[in-house]
Amino acid sequence: MSSQQSPKTQLAALSAPAVIFTVAMIAFPFCYSIWLSFQAFSSVGTTSFNGADNYVRMVSDGEFWNGLAVTFYLYILSLALQLFFGTILALVMFRSKKLPGIVRSLFISPFMMPPVVAGMMWLVILDPSLGAANYILTSFGLPPSEWLASPGFVVPTLAFIDTWQWSPYVALIVLGGLQALPPSVYEAAEIDGASPVKVLFRITLPLLLPTLVAAMILRSVDLLRFFDLIYITTQGGPANASNTLNIYGFRVGFEFFQLGYASALMVTLSVIVLGAVLVLNRLRDAVAW
Amino acid sequence: MSHTVASNRWTGALNIFLLVLAGVVSLTPMAWMVLSSFKASFEVTAYPPTVIFSPTLENYATLWERTPFLHYAFNSMVVTVSSTALGIILGAPAAFVASWTRVTWPAVLTLAARMAPGTLFLLPWYIMFRQFDMIGSYWALILTHAVITMPIVIWVLLPFFDNIPRSIYEAAQVDGCSPLRIFFRIGLPLVAGGLAVSSILAFVFSWNFFLFALVLSNSDTKTLIAASFNFIGEGSTNWGALMAAATLIALPPLVLAIVVQRWLISGLTLGAVKG
Repeated sequence: MSSQQSPKTQLAALSAPAVIFTVAMIAFPFCYSIWLSFQAFSSVGTTSFNGADNYVRMVSDGEFWNGLAVTFYLYILSLALQLFFGTILALVMFRSKKLPGIVRSLFISPFMMPPVVAGMMWLVILDPSLGAANYILTSFGLPPSEWLASPGFVVPTLAFIDTWQWSPYVALIVLGGLQALPPSVYEAAEIDGASPVKVLFRITLPLLLPTLVAAMILRSVDLLRFFDLIYITTQGGPANASNTLNIYGFRVGFEFFQLGYASALMVTLSVIVLGAVLVLNRLRDAVAW
Repeated sequence: MSHTVASNRWTGALNIFLLVLAGVVSLTPMAWMVLSSFKASFEVTAYPPTVIFSPTLENYATLWERTPFLHYAFNSMVVTVSSTALGIILGAPAAFVASWTRVTWPAVLTLAARMAPGTLFLLPWYIMFRQFDMIGSYWALILTHAVITMPIVIWVLLPFFDNIPRSIYEAAQVDGCSPLRIFFRIGLPLVAGGLAVSSILAFVFSWNFFLFALVLSNSDTKTLIAASFNFIGEGSTNWGALMAAATLIALPPLVLAIVVQRWLISGLTLGAVKG
């Protein structure tokens, strides 16, 4: 009997460090944060249960609703842009049968560079008075833009930078999906004399839907928690126009040190991310073939 | 027939055009960053911007002389290498067990760290580390960065372990090998490639990570990424040095990412799609 027990014990021992670490650093803090969201902090650092006060405050906090709106504006705009450009790039890469390794390296560079570095880079390029971007615009006779410094244009600018960074990532995922499609489908369509446009919209894209939804899930998780790029470039400004829920929660927590209220904001954002993932997972099941 | 040949030629040309366009759009900003880092201070803010200039290392010298750049780089290396090692030590046996037993829920649980916003964890960590007087210590950074690296290691290694034929394990068991022995003597050597890929990916993600060091480091332990803020503060007057810092910070992850590009997508998507 002991020889049967021993392998199980050894397997448990092998996974124990990871399980203990996960409980201590992920599961426990997760629960702790939920508990924190029901606490009030006094000036001397003691906590007391204050029921749903933090959540009540949240519902009547204009900054929360602004953060929610900014989060979704940035999310929808960025997701749409990078799915569009990513899919086109994937189709182009798929059709160029022999893609030199250097081209692939070129396309992975934007999303493997630290988002913080991308922020530093674009801050200089998009500088309203001396940046190269405005020079190019004005030399084509177009009006210069304030980019990140404009309350009305900061979210599209951030969406543009994120799209520059992550479209190639979406493209590589979609390319994987394209390469996994059965070639017999194309051959049948070719014999039937279907036009390339028809093949694309009637055959390729519908078959790609599960891959596209998978890419949407991966990008949604990141986009709803958009942080690095915003914090390094605007810190939520100008005039809170890029103050997403994640940025707002961080500032409430670590600039104003209202840890309870910040936890309530972050628990809410987690529920939103989880909800998006569940909805998109449903969608993935619906389009599976 | 001639109609299809003509349309093929046309779409072929369009294809190349789009590919070149995408390459130019991807490359130009990065090239601009690198070029600017070699411009003299009067040239980097020149308007109209200059493309032809005599390169100088002045900005890199400034980083060395006026900022603790090397000290931050050292901190980044300590945190990144240690958290990668910790990720492997924790994650490799866990991936082996998950593949052996087909019990993956603990691996799925680690994905919570990838779904919830970092600040959700940072708030309780801040309180916990303050309790143990660990704010500003390397350990606080290494442990929190291992929350990033461990799931990467588990999810990258899982398919590598799954690819080992079960008959090898069974034969070893018949010979009286314990799971512990099988893991160290058979499993680990067979996934050596996976270990390399997962440690490189873990390294890149730990190196690039911003949020945790922003709060949990102090001026002694600040990583390069967290110190970017200081560079931007100085960069308002000195773009050249800012772009030199950006170039140097981006270099290690870019070089490593190109090394592992074949496995990149399966590693980045943590099992969500096959790359």
